[in-house]
Amino acid sequence: MDVVKEKELREAELMVEKNVMVTSIDKVLNWARGHSFWPVTFGLACCAIEMMAAGGARYDISRFGWEVFRASPRQADLMIVAGTCTRKMAPLLRRIYDQMPEPKWVIAMGSCACAGGPFVDSYSMLPGVDKVVPVDVYIPGCPPRPESLLYGILQLQQKVANPAKVRLMKHGK
Amino acid sequence: MGNKEMLRKRVDELATKVNGEVEESLGVLMLKVKGAYIIETLNGAKNFPEMPCDFLHDLTAVDLGNHFEVVYQLSSLRGPQILRVKGIVDRENPVIDSVTRIWQGANFLEREAYDMFGIEFKGHPNLRRIYLWDEFEGYPLRKDYATESVEQRAVVMPLKVGD
Repeated sequence: MDVVKEKELREAELMVEKNVMVTSIDKVLNWARGHSFWPVTFGLACCAIEMMAAGGARYDISRFGWEVFRASPRQADLMIVAGTCTRKMAPLLRRIYDQMPEPKWVIAMGSCACAGGPFVDSYSMLPGVDKVVPVDVYIPGCPPRPESLLYGILQLQQKVANPAKVRLMKHGK
Repeated sequence: MGNKEMLRKRVDELATKVNGEVEESLGVLMLKVKGAYIIETLNGAKNFPEMPCDFLHDLTAVDLGNHFEVVYQLSSLRGPQILRVKGIVDRENPVIDSVTRIWQGANFLEREAYDMFGIEFKGHPNLRRIYLWDEFEGYPLRKDYATESVEQRAVVMPLKVGD
């Protein structure tokens, strides 16, 4: 066997080893990310009350490891848009999203954040925050109960743990 | 003479002076005047002897189709008197004198009325939009305002440089 060919094969082998190692670390990292979201405090309206209830003792979001609500977007990796986003607020929403370090995810909580909700016909209303930031999980409800929020973040956890899989957990029939 | 009758008497006196009309609606006295007399009327109401209506509770506007009414809710911290003053303004050229000289607190309230109805308050120190952004077109609480379509509203302005 000539030397050049052997060198190529060795390099390929190295690459394979490297690849295998990287994928498994990704798996561990994604598992860790999904189990310790640091949400940025972004309450805009009444949904924020439900978000706070989810953080309180009764629903206890810290059971899942997501309790570290940060006041600064620089320390957060999950934005829960809880409430009505007006058109005046929209550029600021985008700015806060841009300030978060990668990797980052967005949850649209409540009908207003999903699609404008009951105010969709108003002159000041943004019809859904997905016009401004990429949304990963939509949680309907007006406002959604804390259980819904927990379920939504659990869905996001599935999504983070399986980045290649678009379809999420299927429940019921 | 009870409080109510005394207030009624004062308001009637003021009404003859500024050429307005007095009505009573759900137990509240209402004084309707032309927009040009508003400063005189409010100064008069503020300086009623015995029962001054010297606290501007609220200031807003109403679109009545062919004209606007600027509504001033007056009360006092020293008594039970309540008075509602309405200044009638033209729809085509909605201008009225600012009352910020009489009550400093009217500043933001007049800005809100300007924001929503486009009524211009002459003599206001800083007449800009307060709730809506500066680039907003139209006055949304006017009856003839048509909301933009959802597609138009979905477009978001970028942040201003230096913000």
